[in-house]
Amino acid sequence: MPDQQSDGSAPAGVEFSESFVEADGFRIRYRQAGSGEVLICLHGGGGLRISRAHELLAHSRRLIAFEIPGFGQSPVNDRSASMEELAGTMNAAVAALGIDHYSIMGNSFGSKVALWMAILRPQVVKAVVVVGPAAIRLPRQGPPPGQLAPERAAELLYAHPERQPPIPPLAPEIVAKQIALSTRLLGPPRDEPFEARLRELQMPVLALFGTHDRVTPPAGAHLFREILPNCHLVMVYDAAHGIDADRPEAVAALVEDFLSRGDGFLVRRRSGLIYP
Amino acid sequence: MKAALFCTTRYDGPASHSVWPAPGDTYDAQWAERSMQTTLERFRLADEVGFDWVTVAEHHFAPFSMTPNPMVMAAALTNVVKRAKVAILGPDIPILDPVRVAEEIAMVDTLTQGRVVAGLMRGSVNEYVTYNTNPSESRERFEESLQLIKMAWSEKQPFGWQGRYYEYRTISIWPRPVQEPHPPIYISTASPESGEFAARLHLGAGFAFTTVQIASQAAKYYRDQCRLNGWEPSAENIIYRLAMHVAPTDEQAIEEMGAAGGGLPSVGLSFRNRAVESAVATSGYYGRDIETQRARLQSRGALMERIDKGQVLVGAPDTVLGQIKRIREILGAGILDMVVASQLGDKATRAIELFGTKVLPRMQEL
Repeated sequence: MPDQQSDGSAPAGVEFSESFVEADGFRIRYRQAGSGEVLICLHGGGGLRISRAHELLAHSRRLIAFEIPGFGQSPVNDRSASMEELAGTMNAAVAALGIDHYSIMGNSFGSKVALWMAILRPQVVKAVVVVGPAAIRLPRQGPPPGQLAPERAAELLYAHPERQPPIPPLAPEIVAKQIALSTRLLGPPRDEPFEARLRELQMPVLALFGTHDRVTPPAGAHLFREILPNCHLVMVYDAAHGIDADRPEAVAALVEDFLSRGDGFLVRRRSGLIYP
Repeated sequence: MKAALFCTTRYDGPASHSVWPAPGDTYDAQWAERSMQTTLERFRLADEVGFDWVTVAEHHFAPFSMTPNPMVMAAALTNVVKRAKVAILGPDIPILDPVRVAEEIAMVDTLTQGRVVAGLMRGSVNEYVTYNTNPSESRERFEESLQLIKMAWSEKQPFGWQGRYYEYRTISIWPRPVQEPHPPIYISTASPESGEFAARLHLGAGFAFTTVQIASQAAKYYRDQCRLNGWEPSAENIIYRLAMHVAPTDEQAIEEMGAAGGGLPSVGLSFRNRAVESAVATSGYYGRDIETQRARLQSRGALMERIDKGQVLVGAPDTVLGQIKRIREILGAGILDMVVASQLGDKATRAIELFGTKVLPRMQEL
């Protein structure tokens, strides 16, 4: 990991390339940067977007962010019948890239895909990070922002929308397509067969909740610790649903520490020495 | 309306009160022990005569107050004050470890079987020198720390915290507070930023050693902000702290209080070190209305002026009740947090008894 500057910023920028991989009859777009241990990133209901947190993480590992079939530019996906099947497709995409050992980070909708991927291939998935996870929800929680109109979505995504770079809005037909797909596949707030499989996951899971998130609020965090055998909860202060956009340096440092040390990340490594 | 007795645990021996930090070369342990026993006895008396709360606060490096850790003092009251609430008003959270504060308050809440009131303070300017904290970070630290403390009290699973100023990998405090979801929280709402924050987070409001006019403007702002956030604060959500001295006659009370220098130090602790005060003033500590906030802490006038402005309650019991009614009308505070002039010795102790027996029953009907 390169030395972080005192304001948490990373050294010079990182370039994300764009490529495609075939898996399960889908032509899947992905963006990639960095080298080393692989981190697979799965976006939320709003589609693939590279954040500053991704850029920071790509300084110390090989980061691959997929565009899940049916999102963004990809054609409508009415073939994936379930989250489990979709996760199988994403695992196949990773295997098609020749990768046999990886961690996964999933945001919101993507958190459930990530956890299913780990359920299906526990021998190759080293650790999972779920960010603002929609995988297990309190009853009567609002729908994830991917299912909302863009203006309302921005309010829910960011604690500090004024700090976000301007993002060109998605075409309405893409928004509609994404909403339809995530609504069809996400599943109920409490998904018993899914949770039964989660109880068997042994690899470490890090679950991040933004303190200001009204979509997947911290009040629901305890469910992850109660169901997953090896789960660490971390609240990210002053972040809404788009945690990695609101607090990129804080997220990247934490995720990097967790991915490189697993459960050992509980023990402080950063120096407290002020002067020699 | 409720009454609280606030004791700073003043060092009653000879000491210089005009410089901060105060050197320890004339410190006498016996005087310190006696002063602490006097405080414990006054709190016990307050409990006996019916005060609703007893209050402790945090100050450092000065004979003015020997409770740098108010939670330690509050815990010492567990078996001294058996009925009244124990109000910790309170730890200066930006200079402290939030998890430690959460743990200590939970300990006191458990020891007192659910009688704690938690005032989470930002700290006055000199307090930032105490543990070498940057005062320009004061407000951000305060807001983050308070939210972390609340979560440490209420979240039942171990959790980490990835903040700006505070970072923990796993927190799960034992004991937890007795009160659900946690003890009532008050913050000082002198500044507009604080009023907004208190309104957003449903916290109670406190005003200390200000004038009733200044406090009522800030209280109105706080109430307006609460309404904007969808709730209506009650009188009990507002604490007003001031000095008190009651004697059998008005003349006696005024003469005694005058001899004690009006019961309030002539300037706040921060202003006894000009270098500190001016460095802090340029640090961004004060917020949007810097001149008002600085003026609020600067020198206070003569005794009669202070009575008029609602900064002190002085007189015979009936007179003091009238002063209280006026404060109630103008400000609408539900709790008066009163500090006696410790340097008056037995007369201060008598004031507590007189207040409790002659003023309090009628005040509680207001």
